[in-house]
Amino acid sequence: MNVIEKILAKKAGLDHVKPGQEITVKVDLVMAHDVTAPIAIEQFRKIGVSRVYDPEKVVLFIDHNIPSSTVESRQQHRTMQAFHEDFGVQFYKRSDGVLHQVAYEEGLYSAGDIIVGADSHTCTAGAHGAVAIPLGSTEAAAVMALGELDLEVPETHIIRINGKLNPFVYGKDIVLHIIGKFTTNGFTDCAVIVTGDAIVSLPSEEKMTIANMMIECGAMIGYIDQGNGDPGPGAAEYDIDAAEIVPVAACPSSPGNVKPLSQLVGTRITQAVLASCTNGRYSDMEIAASVLQGRKIASHVNLVVVPASRRILEQMEENGLVKVFRDVGAIVMNPGCGPCFGSHQGLLTKDDVAVSSTNRNFPGRMGDKAAQVYLASPRVVAESAVAGYLVLPGTITKEV
Amino acid sequence: MDGTGRAFFLGDNVDTDQILPGYAMSLPPERLGEAALGGSAIPNFAKIAAHGDILVAGDNFGCGSSREQAPVALKACGIRAVVAKSFARIFRRNAINIGLPVITCDCIDQITAEAKDNDVFEINIQAATLTNLTRKTGYVLKPLAASSLQTLHAGGLINRVREKLSERGEQLQSGQLTGGE
Repeated sequence: MNVIEKILAKKAGLDHVKPGQEITVKVDLVMAHDVTAPIAIEQFRKIGVSRVYDPEKVVLFIDHNIPSSTVESRQQHRTMQAFHEDFGVQFYKRSDGVLHQVAYEEGLYSAGDIIVGADSHTCTAGAHGAVAIPLGSTEAAAVMALGELDLEVPETHIIRINGKLNPFVYGKDIVLHIIGKFTTNGFTDCAVIVTGDAIVSLPSEEKMTIANMMIECGAMIGYIDQGNGDPGPGAAEYDIDAAEIVPVAACPSSPGNVKPLSQLVGTRITQAVLASCTNGRYSDMEIAASVLQGRKIASHVNLVVVPASRRILEQMEENGLVKVFRDVGAIVMNPGCGPCFGSHQGLLTKDDVAVSSTNRNFPGRMGDKAAQVYLASPRVVAESAVAGYLVLPGTITKEV
Repeated sequence: MDGTGRAFFLGDNVDTDQILPGYAMSLPPERLGEAALGGSAIPNFAKIAAHGDILVAGDNFGCGSSREQAPVALKACGIRAVVAKSFARIFRRNAINIGLPVITCDCIDQITAEAKDNDVFEINIQAATLTNLTRKTGYVLKPLAASSLQTLHAGGLINRVREKLSERGEQLQSGQLTGGE
């Protein structure tokens, strides 16, 4: 068995599991947010059970529409407040940040845990050795009631990246390279382990970016090697030379439409977005601020900055990053999901072209369905915001 | 879940943002149907869909977000079933969990090529067959897993959870059952 199968077997109370086997696993944490929790709550109430399986392990977050963007979204917050009061579940409701980031910062899970979340980017926790499975609202309600999840043991695919990474290649470039190579349904219903010396040695935040976007290949589980020895066998294994990975962007309108930035230089942009559970972390903010300090954003570009959590925002304030962003003309928002999922805080018209550090660029994801969205690393977002068009990272590095 | 209806055709990689755009996500469930497929190649779908219609799509239908509002919106428009080359995992589970049959088929291209607008189709989920009644052509679908059929027959996952909890001796309030077909 590989590391994922070992965790599944342990949580199912079995000595051994194999791909295709139907098992029931104990769940260590179930999460939902203001867009998915209201349906989960409605479904949970239909079950008619008088308690959740463990109020410490059921956690709700308001992160998608905060402060409320519509009267209806405020109603969703009220529904969650009532559920919190009725069942004693944990509740992060004051712009604490995006659930995946907050769950990590607050230590809500550990390596070897099984966590589920009514959000497709729940796979982020695979960066820290959890088996993290995204699901929908009704299934989340079932887990809230039962404390367990029925699943089919997935086939595991192993992606091994060895060698030395090129300059200005970040976690975002690595995961976009993977999505471009294996396509947006390359791993549907499968588990994926990303390993190799180029991966194990990455900073934790870069690993989170890679794990976060494994859902964009369709994966059921994304897991980053924790460096504790061989992660074990898979149904298929792929070797990638780190040297073949270059700075890239996902072009409109699919995370799988990946091209080297060298082919895209000069594409005029009107908005730049530094945000989300993918790349709204402190190290992302630091990279962007180092590029922007003492410069100005191109006059035709809006730069929207959304820290992934309150802790990140606090760190940005302490270290002067917020001032750097404001001085160059960026709009710094409260922590949360911001414009990533197309509800508020920076929507695009049909004529807009954006470069964004977020995770999806499907048609209409960030506003009008004709808007063009390119996904790239925070460094590319910052440098392009200064230039006013897509640039190769490292181009805007000279002193002002 | 079995019966007849018209078919609407979509391509590959129809994602959840196309099925239900982000702006519509905070709508109450009874209004979700208004925005169904609002971001897709059939943006006026909510106006033209009728009870019992079928969606026929390509690869990777429902990729992207975990938002259950997407299948709920299709169901709210009266969609009887979605037939596709393949489905994204979370969408497929969400649909079954709320009682919307989603079923794969290897001959989508043939179905699409042989059909004309307003043809009437008959679908049988248990037998895994699709028939174009207008053209008198039949197609084989991939049978659903036993657990998926069980969930559909129970009227959705919530009813199965109620059964499980009852077996464990939990006292349940009557609740509002969603009811199967």
